[in-house]
Order: sequence, then C-alpha cells, then structure tokens
Amino acid sequence: MNESLINPFTLSHPTAVQTSLYAGATFARFDPAGRFIAAARVNGSAEIWDLETRAPIRWLDGHVKTITSIDWSRNSRYLLTSSKDWNVLIWDLAAVCDPPQRYATVRFDAPVVSASFHPKNSQIILVLLATGEAYVCDTRKQHRSRVELLETIIDDGEDEEGPIRSPITTARFDPAGKNIFVGTATGCILVFNTRTKIMIARHKISGAGTMKGMDFAKAGRRLVTNSSDRTLRQFLLPKYPTPPADADASAPFVFLDGELEPTHRFSDPINRTAWHAMCYSPDGEWLAGGAADPAGHKIYIWDISNDGQFASALDGGREPLVYLHWHPTRSALASTTNQGSILIWHCPSPERWGAFAGGFEEVDENVEYAEREDEFDIEDEAVLFARKMRAEEEAVDIDTIVAGTLAPEGGGARSGNRGGAATPVGDGSVPPVDLDGKFSTGGEETTDLETAWAEEEPDGDVRGGWRMKIIMDNEAAEFY
Amino acid sequence: MEPPRPAGPHKPAQDNEKPLASASTSTPNYELRAILSGHKASIASITFSPDGAMLASAGSDKVIKLWDGITGEILDTLEGHTEGISDIAWASDGEYIASASDDKTIKIWSMEERSEVKTLIGHTNFVFCVNYNPNSNLLVSGGFDETVRIWDIARGKPLKVLPAHSDPVTAVSFNHDGTLVVSCAMDGLIRIWDAESGQCLKTLVDDDNPICSHVKFSPNSRFVLASTQDSTIRLWNYQTSKCVKTYTGHSNRTYCIPACFVTSKGKYIVSGSEDNKIYIWDLQTRQVLQVLDGHRDAVLAIATHPFRNIIASASMEKDLTIRLWFDE
Repeated sequence: MNESLINPFTLSHPTAVQTSLYAGATFARFDPAGRFIAAARVNGSAEIWDLETRAPIRWLDGHVKTITSIDWSRNSRYLLTSSKDWNVLIWDLAAVCDPPQRYATVRFDAPVVSASFHPKNSQIILVLLATGEAYVCDTRKQHRSRVELLETIIDDGEDEEGPIRSPITTARFDPAGKNIFVGTATGCILVFNTRTKIMIARHKISGAGTMKGMDFAKAGRRLVTNSSDRTLRQFLLPKYPTPPADADASAPFVFLDGELEPTHRFSDPINRTAWHAMCYSPDGEWLAGGAADPAGHKIYIWDISNDGQFASALDGGREPLVYLHWHPTRSALASTTNQGSILIWHCPSPERWGAFAGGFEEVDENVEYAEREDEFDIEDEAVLFARKMRAEEEAVDIDTIVAGTLAPEGGGARSGNRGGAATPVGDGSVPPVDLDGKFSTGGEETTDLETAWAEEEPDGDVRGGWRMKIIMDNEAAEFY
Repeated sequence: MEPPRPAGPHKPAQDNEKPLASASTSTPNYELRAILSGHKASIASITFSPDGAMLASAGSDKVIKLWDGITGEILDTLEGHTEGISDIAWASDGEYIASASDDKTIKIWSMEERSEVKTLIGHTNFVFCVNYNPNSNLLVSGGFDETVRIWDIARGKPLKVLPAHSDPVTAVSFNHDGTLVVSCAMDGLIRIWDAESGQCLKTLVDDDNPICSHVKFSPNSRFVLASTQDSTIRLWNYQTSKCVKTYTGHSNRTYCIPACFVTSKGKYIVSGSEDNKIYIWDLQTRQVLQVLDGHRDAVLAIATHPFRNIIASASMEKDLTIRLWFDE
C-alpha cells in the first residue's frame, strides 16, 4: 500500500536495471504474487529466489535434463517444471522439508517442450511434447484422464491413413482456463474447450509461419503471438461458443473457422530480429518484446493503450537476452541473459528530499506564496484546542483493509500508466480498467459451467492458506 | 500441535459485522487473573505469539522468558545475550523470536529448538527496537546508532542501512502488507519509508517536537499510533499528515512506553503509564474507559492478545511482575 505515498506521475514501464541475480538460469519467471522468481538452471534443477531478500531460498532438484518450462499455480503454492527428460514434476512449496521433495511426477514418452497449470486448478495440466502432440492431464480422482488435443479435420476420405495433423508448437490456457489455445507449425491457432477437449475454433494466421509462442493480456480478450516470420501479432479474440454440458468429443461440433486479422503487428523493421519472448504488463497497457539479438540485450516496449506505438528500447548490456517476464503486479521485468543472469528491471522513482522534513512539499517551479489573511493572527489557545477536539470527534476506521488508498480507481494490478507500484491486498476484487471493453457481457452463465468444472476437487492452493517456511541458511552466513 | 489461528492477523471474524458506533459503546472490564514473576530486572518488552498460545517477555536481565499465554505458566527461559534486551518480536508463523539487545546484536531464536539460531551483527550501538515483516523473511531494527536496518533473516545479512534519524531510534515496524516501514526517534520525528527502495516517503512532526517513544501502524495500516514523552498518544493519518485523535490522562515523561490497539472486543487504545497504572481509552471518543491498578512500578511493556480479550503488562525494578488481565 505504499503506492499512495509514492508520486503517481513518475511511474510507467520499467526503464532501468535494478539488480542482477547471478542465478545461472536458462530462463526465469515471477510467481503470480510477485514475491518470488523461479529460475531454471542448466543442470536441470530449479531455484526459487525471494525478491525481497534477493537470495535463493529453495533448490528443486529432480530433473536429469534441461528444464523446458516452469509454471506457478495461481497462489504460488505449487510449482511445475517440465524437462527434456520426459517428465513433468510438481513441487509443493508449503512442504516443510528441505530440500523439497517432488509432490507429483507425470511421465511422458517424449521430451516435454512445455507444461502449464490450469489457472483455476493445478491438478489439471496442459503438456506439449517434442513430437508436436498436446495433452491435457487431469489428476483429479473424479476426472483422472490424459486426453490428446486433436485438431478436427473434415475427412474427405481420400487419405487412407486418416487425416494428417500439423504438429503443435505452442500451447497455453487462456487466463480464465476456459479454453486452450495451441499454435501449429503451419501457422494456425486452434482453440479447444478445456472441459470437453473439443476444438471450437481454428484460425489461420496468414504469413505467420510456425507459431512460436503466445501470451494473453490478463483480461483474456487480447492475445499476442510470436511466429517464425519475426513478427509479434496482437489479436482481439472473438467470443467462442461453449460446447453443451453433455457434449461428447466424438460427436461433430461446428467450430469457428476463419482467419483472424491482427490489430497490430510488431516487428523490428531495421534488423529484422526474431523475438525470444513477449509479455504484457499486468494492466495490458504495455507489451514488452525480448529481441533475439545475438549481440545485445534489447527489450522493446510498445504502448498498447496508445495504439501500439513504440515506446522505448531498453538496453541490458552485452549479454544476449533469452527470456523475458513481466512482474504480475508491478512495473518490473525479469529478463534472463544467455550467461544465466536474471536482470530485474524497475522504474526508479526519484528520491524526494522534501519527505525528510515534516510539513514540507516539493514543488516543480517557484510558486508565489499568498499569505492568508489570518495567517499571523494570534488565536486564543482555548478556542484552538476546542476546534482541534471537535475535529477529533470524527470516527476513524482502523481495521478495514482496502487495497491501497487509491484502490477504488485502480484495482490491484496496474503496472504504471496511471499509478504504478500497486500491491495487491485482499483478493483484488476491484476489476481492472478494461482496455478491451466489456469482456464478460453475456458470457456469465457459460463461464460458470467451465469454472465449476475446473473448481471441482480444489487443489488446496488457497490465497493466504499456506506459507513458505523461512529456512535459516547458516552456511551462507559464513560468507558475510 | 498449534491451536487454530484467526483468519486475519489482527481481528477475529465475528468482529467484522459490528458497526463502528456500537463498538464504541461497549465498556472494557478487565480483571487481574494472573501474576507472573521470574524476571530479575526491569521487563522491557512483552508480546503474545501470533496464535496467542505463548507470551514472550524480555528485559534487563538478558533473558527471554516464554509463558503460557492463557495460564501464565512459565515454559522456558532463553539465555544468550550478554547485555539487557530492549525489544522482542514474533515471526508471523510463530516459529521464531527476534530480540534486540544492548550488546549491539539481534538474535533469532527458534521456538522449535528453543535455542538461538542466528545472530545479526551490524548495529554500532544498542539495538532498541525490532520487528518482522508479514512474510517474516525480513527484519527491521533500530537503535542508538540512529540507523534503521533491514535484514535478510535467512542469511543473517543486512540488506539496507537507512540513516533514518538524528537521535536514537525508539520504534520501527512494517505495515500489514510489508510495503512500508514506520520509524520514530528521540528527535521527535516519525518517518515512513518505502520498504523496497528504502526511500523516505513522509515525515510527521508535531509542533512541540516531543521525544517520540513508540509508533506502530493501525491494523489496516491507514494510521500510525505514536506515543510521545509529553504524556500523549496520537493517532496520525499519515496521508494527510494530520493528527486525528489524541489520548491523554496517563503519565509518560521518561520511558519509552508503547501503546496498543485492542480490536478483539471494543476498539480501544491501551498504554502503560509511569504512575504504575494501565489506561484504556475508547478509540473514537478518546475517553479513558478503564484504569488498571496493581503494578508497583512504571508499566513499561504492554501487549494485547491477538484475538482474546487479554492484556499483558509488565513493570520495572520495584515490581518485576507480568500481569494478565482478562475481560471475558
């Protein structure tokens, strides 16, 4: 709740490196609360860093080959790591034993390219294998299953071996977990319903080539894709139909088929660099792209709220960038270099020396002081005292916690255009100002069906319902 | 092993529905239920564990004593400091206690092992006050070297040293979400800091500039409660830099006496006093509602139970007892 005291006008997107963490990381991701950062290491282990102390606090040792992806459950209790060793491991950070033991192992028969938790239940995971197949694994007792996501292809009977599906190259849940978006090697985006695993839409993206990555703005209406043509495309997603509750995957479902026209294309017109990663700011007003520039560490930032105008290019030095992730609530970025360092970017707020003197205020320009008529009048102390006492009659509220004093206008997840460094308190029930217009209109009842399905058999990852034990690191203390 | 904890860190659920006005009308009726003796020198600090099961006390006799929070039975004595202890604080999970001592160190004690696990060295003079952040991965401390220090507890390493004041720092603590730090000092200033950057965000100062002996955030962190050595306790709205409530009637000219919020029953302010009494004010009307008599010396330390209506108080040389007062 410090944002109410920090000057709201200085904050925007991150502009400068605050710290480097020498983590030996291949990539690093913030947790959804923004307290930790998980770093995948070259040797197959993962490290969790505490951003407040800027020190590693947990070492997750389980994979024997390179980690390919990391995902956090929604309240940061569970961590998922996928690896080229064909395994997906799930770790429970609430466990008290150190080093932490794996909580669950999901094995596959090919290297795992990426895996992620369902946004509403960490017992449902989406897995993409190096063979180009994507699976939804449900480990809940009532729903235990492993379903492959298959593109619906109208079989015209010419092909004897059945339809040939193009390999899937990227797969993600949308922020609500209602649909799964997959990108294919032939430049298509396929949309599947999570509950029924039925394909509900197919979009051909012309000129994109192989899809390399996707990221959603938090509200879920906007999607940015990265593809082999070195262009980031932003799409406004249509409203997708929901298969009925009793729908069966074998029955034909009329899916949406059509091209999706990007609202914006972002590329580097001069160097034509490819992109390693891209990420929306938490309020969706900025888009950051990490350039695959072999000679430098460049992050491009576009101002989405300003029609996608290019805002700035951040230079992180000589070590090339390999990964990029925006902090879930603040105006901060974590970019990983190919040497394994994690750069934490922030938006520095200038020191306000006026704050050191009580009753002073800093002004940008000289102001002619207008003396009040009664400024030097000597008032009767008794009158003054009585007035003060009267003013003190007003009731104060000392224990209702609101999400920051500016909460009514902003919500808990703003990165910066209008007020920055927001800290989520409580459950952030104030909806963020939505750039995409009304998202949920008319979709309530269908969303509920999906949500209710996902929330069956909750995973125990409750906000504030677990805590990570502080482990006293007596060995590290020797160095200081 | 641990008894159930209340949902919020500061208030039980049943209090939420109670409107502000009706809370003001209830009167406290605290009665002495237990007298705990064992300390051999002045008691400087007492505090309930976050689950309310234990009470920790410490003082000039260099030891920390652990008591049962309800019955007052002695549970353990922790020895290790070489000089007197000025302040103790519980980690929010109740697993550790931090103690600030005149031997210039802060020690972290494990409640599981009932022993010292870490010594934080860095202060160049007496350490006077210490507190955990809500995640309990950071510690903030202040002392006679006029600095405020933020520590990484797991590694026992100082993260920040803030040249915060121009006199000994008498109190320092985090707000409920750990983003702000408030400190006060004998220079009479109350300062609010950004915990992450260490920047000073605000300075609160009263016209007369009395020595400020204790400060803490209200449970929702929208106000700070400050005790000054002109026998006054003030509730400040730090956004507007205005004093919104003044509580007087007790006597405080010499020692650093903390004040506490009570939110478990009505909404009260509680403070010890140098006239050997404990004063309870109504938060809103600022009237003294009850005066607890019994100690035989100045009441320097006071603590309120996290969810039950219990006040613990402790006194100086001539008395050396801890008293538990119940209103239930």
